[in-house]
Amino acid sequence: MTCSLGDSLEEIIDAVRHKRIKIDRIPFTLASLPYSKPYYLIQRNVTDKLHNRSEQYFYEVLFSAVSRALLNAGLNRTETKDMNVFFGSTSMDVPVFEGNHRKSSSTVSGMFLQSSYGYGKIAGAILEKFGIEGNCYSFATACTSSANALLYAAAMIEEGLIERALVVGYDLFNNLGFYGFEALKSIAETYYRPFDRMRDGLILGEACGAVILEGKRRNTGDFMHLGGANLCDTYSVTSHDEEGFAVAETMNRALRQAGIPPGDICAVKAHATGTENNDRTECAAMRVTFGCEMPPVTCVKPFIGHTVGACGVNELILFTESVKTGFIPSTPGFREMDDKLNLTPLTENMEAGEGIFMLNYFGFGGNCTTLILSNKGEGE
Amino acid sequence: MYIHSASSFIGAENADVNFLKEKLRCYTDEYFRRVNRFILLTMLGARQCIHNHALDFDTAIYLTTEHGNLGETASVLDEIYAARSLPKPFGFINTMSNTAAFYLARNLGVRGRNIMVSSQHLSFERGLELMQVDFALGATGNALIGGVDEALLSRTALEEQTSRVFRMVNGSGWLYVKPVKDGACGVISEIRSFSDGPACINWMRERRGSHIDVVSFGALIDDDEAAAMKEILHPVAEFDYLREYGYSSSATACGVGLFIMLFQGKTMLHINRDQRGHFAVIEIERY
Repeated sequence: MTCSLGDSLEEIIDAVRHKRIKIDRIPFTLASLPYSKPYYLIQRNVTDKLHNRSEQYFYEVLFSAVSRALLNAGLNRTETKDMNVFFGSTSMDVPVFEGNHRKSSSTVSGMFLQSSYGYGKIAGAILEKFGIEGNCYSFATACTSSANALLYAAAMIEEGLIERALVVGYDLFNNLGFYGFEALKSIAETYYRPFDRMRDGLILGEACGAVILEGKRRNTGDFMHLGGANLCDTYSVTSHDEEGFAVAETMNRALRQAGIPPGDICAVKAHATGTENNDRTECAAMRVTFGCEMPPVTCVKPFIGHTVGACGVNELILFTESVKTGFIPSTPGFREMDDKLNLTPLTENMEAGEGIFMLNYFGFGGNCTTLILSNKGEGE
Repeated sequence: MYIHSASSFIGAENADVNFLKEKLRCYTDEYFRRVNRFILLTMLGARQCIHNHALDFDTAIYLTTEHGNLGETASVLDEIYAARSLPKPFGFINTMSNTAAFYLARNLGVRGRNIMVSSQHLSFERGLELMQVDFALGATGNALIGGVDEALLSRTALEEQTSRVFRMVNGSGWLYVKPVKDGACGVISEIRSFSDGPACINWMRERRGSHIDVVSFGALIDDDEAAAMKEILHPVAEFDYLREYGYSSSATACGVGLFIMLFQGKTMLHINRDQRGHFAVIEIERY
């Protein structure tokens, strides 16, 4: 995983444990706007500077994350070759295009239409680079993209159709997204504080994460996917029904597919974008699902930003790796409960052991995805 | 997976948005304001497909595409880079291709799974595989699956891969699929992938299924490959839908829809390949 906190899992989880956060500010120079907005940029070295990024940079970040995931999983060449790839992203190859465009004076749209080879291009590059001969699925369902990639990778393994899968969540900085979310007036001024009474929007971030799924645990403590669900809330293209019924139905279906009651959930990783609508909808949905037995809730976006389509994989990595080292992350930035939400997320790290966890993801186009994960030992 | 209806909307490359909106009025009273060509193509093909069917609330939608809303993405990039302004909010939202599947779900009043998937040259086949898994796990009851692509965006991608020349069209092909046979007009009896041509040909030699009446080929299958496959399968006919109806990056979905609706023969094997040389077959039996 590579994100604003670095590219070493140990360093990233240590930063999460100690609430070390790095946020930059980026001006809207192209639109000559006299202000900047916060953004969680990858900033490991000089190559990460936005003005230095070329086509090669975007592939290096991608290949580096995939390479480390393959190494970490200890896969041999044959196991790698036979994998299927599930890729989730909102921006797909737009950052690559923008990187190239900085060096060209051609008209933008004409150049884009000539240089973009569709949504499958980036995932196709992974296959080529690593000699993977399996099938490839690129999901583009807005902010649920890589969560849906995880959902289907797990389903295909469960059905015995494939042995293992590489699942990638990839969204790097691009002006399309940054200017687009500003046009929607969704970006917070300074602080990221989901569920807080003073929340004022989301802060975007960039990340590339990769996970390997297999049918069996390799190591004690590896997480298992117990079940999941995806539904479409047709309330609005940009927001969800504030009563939260469609979102709650997604959570309930995921629980049913996992074969567990709501009371078995030890903690929830909320989607928690920090926008007025998302947080109200999600809280309402959790109340419908859990009633007054609300499990601890955490929001991890304040650590790495809202990484849009990549958040499915990257927030899963952040959450599960934290649990593996013994804690559920707190929600930095939260100060004051919103009476309308009546929910206080974890404000301090919570000790964690074995358990079953719910991970929620929602996106534009009414897309709702819930994953149920467990790190309990076999037979428990 | 039983096919209960099929459609294939194929439109001229230069058809404008107002023309598509007018066509859509034949199927729905809803007026769409902030939509683009890709969304309208999605709506047109899918509405044609389910024209006389009452859908369950839980119906899933699988939208497959190679290029999706990249046309709108280009326009929004122009707003940022050329006009040097913030993009229009709905223009930006429509750069996300799942908005097409959202508008379709809302128009049809369904709330099931809503997935948009892509895979170079094999998007429709990959979408069928996802749907098949959902059916097997009971995650989906009934489903609409379609392939949608604009002509303009299809041209560049194809020219890079083959010297074959096709008439470019806007394409939107859809199947309405249920797990029950009652009332079906056909069945998807096989979806299979191969890592290369020889593996695909071996499977054809060894398959013990029923006789294939019709074969059809995707755009990247060359003449020699097609000849070798026909030699094994001995089909009664070849359905060359690309030559007859034109090419879009979602031509496979349109070809399958056209076979169900128009072409003679009981069984069809559609053979496709991607730029890596991976092959995928879809076998359709019509009732």
